[in-house]
Amino acid sequence: MNNPYQPIKTEILQVIQETPQIKTFVLKPENRFEFRAGQFIQLTIPGIGEGPFTPSSSPYKNEKLEVTIMQVGRITSSLHNMKEGDLVGIRGPYGNRYPLERWKNKEILIVGGGVGLAPLRSLFFSLTHYINDYPRIVFCYGAKTPEDIVYKESILDKWQKEFKNKVSFRITVDQGDEKWKGRVGVVTTALEGINEEIKKITESVSVVCGPPIMMKFTTLKLLDLGYKPENIYLSMEKNMSCGIGKCGHCQLGKYLVCRDGPVFTYEKLRDIPQIWD
Amino acid sequence: MKEFFLSKDSYLKFVENLSCEFSLYAPVQKGDFLFYDKVNKENIDKLFVDLRRTIHPIKSFFIPPQRRVSEYFISSSEKREEKKKVILGVKNCDLNALKILDNVYFGEEFGREYKDPYYMEARKETILISSDCMDPDENCFCTLVQSKPFPEEGFDLNLSNIEEGFIIQVGSEKGEELIEAFRDLFSSVNKDMSKKREKNREKIFKLLEKINKKFKTSSSYRELVRDSYDSSVWKKYSESCVECGGCNQICPTCRCFLLSDKKRGEKYEKYYLWDSCLLAGFARVAGGANPRPYLFQRFANRLFCKFFFFPENINLDACTGCGRCISVCPGKIDMRKVLRDLAIEKRVTVSLEK
Repeated sequence: MNNPYQPIKTEILQVIQETPQIKTFVLKPENRFEFRAGQFIQLTIPGIGEGPFTPSSSPYKNEKLEVTIMQVGRITSSLHNMKEGDLVGIRGPYGNRYPLERWKNKEILIVGGGVGLAPLRSLFFSLTHYINDYPRIVFCYGAKTPEDIVYKESILDKWQKEFKNKVSFRITVDQGDEKWKGRVGVVTTALEGINEEIKKITESVSVVCGPPIMMKFTTLKLLDLGYKPENIYLSMEKNMSCGIGKCGHCQLGKYLVCRDGPVFTYEKLRDIPQIWD
Repeated sequence: MKEFFLSKDSYLKFVENLSCEFSLYAPVQKGDFLFYDKVNKENIDKLFVDLRRTIHPIKSFFIPPQRRVSEYFISSSEKREEKKKVILGVKNCDLNALKILDNVYFGEEFGREYKDPYYMEARKETILISSDCMDPDENCFCTLVQSKPFPEEGFDLNLSNIEEGFIIQVGSEKGEELIEAFRDLFSSVNKDMSKKREKNREKIFKLLEKINKKFKTSSSYRELVRDSYDSSVWKKYSESCVECGGCNQICPTCRCFLLSDKKRGEKYEKYYLWDSCLLAGFARVAGGANPRPYLFQRFANRLFCKFFFFPENINLDACTGCGRCISVCPGKIDMRKVLRDLAIEKRVTVSLEK
């Protein structure tokens, strides 16, 4: 029988330093590996441990896979010490995906914070793959300082040119520096005046991913702006271990994040105590 | 359901035969408690098959505390052929717990297409011969969770002790095959025997009602736990919890685990290890955020899991009333009292008897 605990041998092809604490790893799995935006994988550092991460690359490119990872703990520190040619293992993909088919003909608001942009980048590639399906895409992103912005070249320049008339970008930093000419303030301040760009807020879909405190205040702000709880999509960060609904670590109320998530609408979660902790 | 009579002499022959053909496990007494042990020539006449549940649940036969679940980059093909197992003297509380584990490890509701091949293999290769509980202890409370001290399903064979021998019920094809293999040992059951069994069962049921009279609540535990997140009861009782995780380890339905990796020679291995939701790091994510940083939250969450999470998902309570968590707790926490106090707080009728 198929062993769901068996990782696929995967080579690190390239390591890209995004910020001082964040790196993107370009991975090549031994076997064909497909995923959809929003799903997560279990990444094994040989002999060290395993953790859940969301691919940040385009689901339409099957030969390679990218994950963008901040150095915060034991496993991520080991990973940050790895280099091109090293081997890791992956299992998955697990969990649900962003329901793009339900978002057709809707205005989309993406709100990312810090390294939480990783799954949203994968989502962005998926949305722009069929860009004519969406009348408007607004891309909001907040980082601590200009130095902490991930995928700098893409979001500050390349994408802005490539999707000029289709996507508007609102990039903000909590604290600027002398070279920074853009917005300053937490990501919720970048949502001010969003109703000038998004015509039908009550129909619009918003997709949020970032640190818990950012997700909390962004959700409150979105509700304030008129977004419906069922149209606010949140990617929940939990410590999934098995990824297949058995180990119990990612339990969130009656849900298991690996099985029922990681993508949830706020409507599903709002009655669960302490969802933001 | 087919049933046969097994005389005392035939019973001994039956057990002896089982111990020759299978890896047979049965309850034996060590100190004050019953433990499962492999049956051999030395202990075969000292088995306590029909007394009460063992101190440990039977989950370790299916999900051991530690198990290698994969090896990667290099794989060896060492495979151990094991004799089929027979577990004798399983009580209804432990059979009911297998319903929960079955759902988690290969049920549709948990992880859908992902089934645990190790658990399934162990289930397939194990024959369960249960027995009616004849001597519950003061912590047993199966009747408070709408269960009974004797099994009605989930076994391959079930033994009911009546003075002159046992009534043996056939609950599955595996059980049927066993009966066929030792057909000469069994005879038919008469009405008197059935009556004796019913009388015994009624007696034990009443005894359990008596043991638990002071804990009985008029609402079910499901109703009590639902929406009780802000109750002061969690704080009050968790004060004497020492976070040992013993209740998790000893619970027949607690099945949470952690995957861990290690290097062995040139290859790497992934292990499955039991984990405890009472421990502070259980739900903590990288970077330190923790959805349940306070002990009372974890304490409450364990009972939410039993009486809210599982019922919402598969319409079963994940508590079988075995009472082991009460026996094991160094803080002397009795969950019957926790739930009774929850009922008092919610102004639900409780028994007035002291």
